[in-house]
Amino acid sequence: MSVSRREFLKSAGVSGLATAVTSATVGQAEAQTSPAVIGPGDVPVSLMVNGKRLDLRIEPRVTLLDAVRNRADLTGNKRVCDRGTCGACTMIVDGRTVYSCSTLAIDVQGKPIRTVDGLAAANGTMHPVQQAFCDVDGLMCGFCTPGFVVATVALLEKHPNATPEQMRKGLDGNICRCGTFVRIMEAAQKAKTTMGVRRG
Amino acid sequence: MADPKLAWPAKPKLLSTHVQRIDAPEKVTGRAKYTYDINRPGMIYGKIVRSPHPHARIVSIDLSAAEKAPGVKAVLEYSKAGAQVMYQGDPVAAVAADTEERALDAARLVKVEYEALPHLASVEQAMAENAPKVFTPANTRAGQSEETGDLEAGFKAAAHVIEATYATHVITHVCLETHGTVCEWDGDKLTAWVSTQGAHQCAQGFAQSLKIPQANVRVITQFMGGGFGSKFAPDSQGIICAQLAKIAKVPVKLMLDRKEEHLDSGNRPSATAKIRAGVSAEGMLTAFDARSWGTGGAGATSNFPLPYIYNFPNRKRQHTDVYINAGQQRAMRAPGHPQGCYLTEILMDELADRVKMDPVAFRIKNLPPKGPNAMWQDYFEMGAKRFGWDKRHPTGEGGSGSVKTGMGVSAHRWGGAGRGSRAHCDITSDGGVVVKCGTQDIGTGTRTLVTIVAAETLGLPVSAVKAEIGDTVYPFSGGSGGSTTAASVSPAIRHVTMKALDALFAKVAPTLGTTAENLVAEGGRVFVKGTPSKGLSWKDACKVIGTEPVSVDGEWQDGLSGSGTSGVQFAEASVDVETGIVKVTRILAIQDCGLIVSGLTAESQVYGGVIASINFALFEDRILDRSTGHMVNPNMEMYLLAGMSDVPKIDIVINNMPERGVIGIGEPPTVSTASAIANAVRNATGATIRSLPLHPHRVLAAIDQERAGGTN
Repeated sequence: MSVSRREFLKSAGVSGLATAVTSATVGQAEAQTSPAVIGPGDVPVSLMVNGKRLDLRIEPRVTLLDAVRNRADLTGNKRVCDRGTCGACTMIVDGRTVYSCSTLAIDVQGKPIRTVDGLAAANGTMHPVQQAFCDVDGLMCGFCTPGFVVATVALLEKHPNATPEQMRKGLDGNICRCGTFVRIMEAAQKAKTTMGVRRG
Repeated sequence: MADPKLAWPAKPKLLSTHVQRIDAPEKVTGRAKYTYDINRPGMIYGKIVRSPHPHARIVSIDLSAAEKAPGVKAVLEYSKAGAQVMYQGDPVAAVAADTEERALDAARLVKVEYEALPHLASVEQAMAENAPKVFTPANTRAGQSEETGDLEAGFKAAAHVIEATYATHVITHVCLETHGTVCEWDGDKLTAWVSTQGAHQCAQGFAQSLKIPQANVRVITQFMGGGFGSKFAPDSQGIICAQLAKIAKVPVKLMLDRKEEHLDSGNRPSATAKIRAGVSAEGMLTAFDARSWGTGGAGATSNFPLPYIYNFPNRKRQHTDVYINAGQQRAMRAPGHPQGCYLTEILMDELADRVKMDPVAFRIKNLPPKGPNAMWQDYFEMGAKRFGWDKRHPTGEGGSGSVKTGMGVSAHRWGGAGRGSRAHCDITSDGGVVVKCGTQDIGTGTRTLVTIVAAETLGLPVSAVKAEIGDTVYPFSGGSGGSTTAASVSPAIRHVTMKALDALFAKVAPTLGTTAENLVAEGGRVFVKGTPSKGLSWKDACKVIGTEPVSVDGEWQDGLSGSGTSGVQFAEASVDVETGIVKVTRILAIQDCGLIVSGLTAESQVYGGVIASINFALFEDRILDRSTGHMVNPNMEMYLLAGMSDVPKIDIVINNMPERGVIGIGEPPTVSTASAIANAVRNATGATIRSLPLHPHRVLAAIDQERAGGTN
């Protein structure tokens, strides 16, 4: 099921933003064609995270990041800017990277969602990208790291032979405050080689 | 040194090498649990209600609607009617509810009536003659005042005098993990997970503020998402969290949101100086006279060292703290030094031009005497060669196209000098080694450092040692600030593991038919000195320990650490004179830190310091609206930070000085990059940009001014 932003705004009348918008134009414009109202209050939301189904009861306004972190205790991906700028919350939904802090959980039901928590193999072996980050010290405090790891995985899955320029562009949606960029680039270069070997 | 055998080994196996960060696997897999990630059974969420006004009197606080809101378990008046709020974001009240969303809803229902009062949104407003008197006793406070030598004689000896105003701006720490706490009470005992640089310091802070015995407080900081000087105390959010948890009788998580983090968790104060400086015809500095000021927000100081490094024999400096209605400053990565460095180093290039000297030669000529903590001359010379300084063109001759390139240089210093850490070591009969120290790893690699020192001392691989840190149940260690952690912790770990080894040797010696002092531990074996065949594997040796483990305490020892570092950085930048956009293309950072304990993480610190200073120079700026006193960019899309494409090629040289002991490297590399970049921009364009940040419109304005008759 997919819910448009307008439908969401209409349904989630408790938030300040929604109240302001729905009170006038949106509410009236959609009065005749409006689908069933979802919320306010908890509604069933079913997510497919790292190959496992999560059945949650959450308010429609809960983001994918908060649903996964607060309701499923999958805390690998971080909340940092909470406005789709810094990339610490980066997840892969349906093969594309998304800022999960700015994605509603109800909007990605039924779609395969991958978080940093699910990248390592079941036996604990790290993903080649994770191993490369460890090898070259592509991290310091580690708070941006999960987002960078996921973004690098998505980048190399899409562009297995990514050029350094493509890597830079692919990772420009993430911010690190400790200043690990130089070594993240090294990690991406190294992972490109090791992922190639694994596929090879 | 108390015991000569504690001396760092002359031929180390692990010290100064590249050992992988011990907790990297936890961090890259998402298994590392930061404070933000702690989810306790029954836990609810706290939210602080903050003043929207930069200055106001609270008329009333009404929590009744919030209290009745869905899911609300606790409400709290933090301030009270009649009290004043002094900045946007000053905490007033708080709520806690079963979900974050409901806590936010309830916070919006807290009704606070304010009587707005006159406010000061800028240094200029605060210093104006007709400024409203907002602070008591005054909006400004006379700060440090120093005078050395004979200023008049100094200016008399000058062939050239420069008089100009230099400035740096306010930036915020932007810790990616915002400040925050999870508090859980068990009767009158508090467990607090805190995102902090000082676990033990926080335990003391909670005890004092909540008026409970410190023995009843446990603080845990296993992983921490960046502090940069802003995270030492529980702060208002920590105390509020503990109080909400007490009222609600369930654990409470209270993490600041990004806006709160900008407004109320510290910042680097601004710095401005009106400087008059003289240089002789021979290129010797003769005199320096400065009136300086800066703001650290509402009632906080703003001092910084000035002049920086170079030897002005006759000098005078008077500083004034200026208070404005903004959140208070906190220490930020090398507090004061980036400011003092910038103000001095831009001036140095101008003075060098006046006497037609190369900036490197000019600086060398005016350095204080060389010493182990003052290696600038060597670094300038080595760096000039490595960077290709001989290819630097005369200032202003940056090429004929619209994109000009240039090179700049700058120097810095830092203290370090940590002490006081304690540690505990257990060795059990299965060969297990656990080293405990109540320090914390703030991203600098302290857990790795503890492991390396222990493994080196015990002759074991790093995988055989377990470092347990980040918890106040472990022996005392101070806050991680001032680049003191490595110098404070390393000697304690050396001492405690050496003591543990002595105790093990005493037990093993009879088995090997020798005495303890004849034994050594190397390569995972314990054996008789000089006769490696006469010995046991570590595991077999530990079998003699029996049920009662080797269990010893140790502490920081004199002679294993030092203080005082120096560094020099070179920058190459390009400037588009049509758009004002500056791009840094190359940095060379030369740094010492005494004995390098962990080579890999030390290098990461230098990369990080350089990139932080690029941010300071080119991107970051806390902008307050001059009318409303509101911060206009309290987020991460308008508060700019470098991304991958903004990061230049960075070349690092770390000068290992084992004879000086461990010193620390967190702060020094972030001091001088910004100055080197601004000097490179000056070299490229001929325009002197005396105030940061180097935002495009400011660069263009300086270029215009240069074309219209000169910025000099």
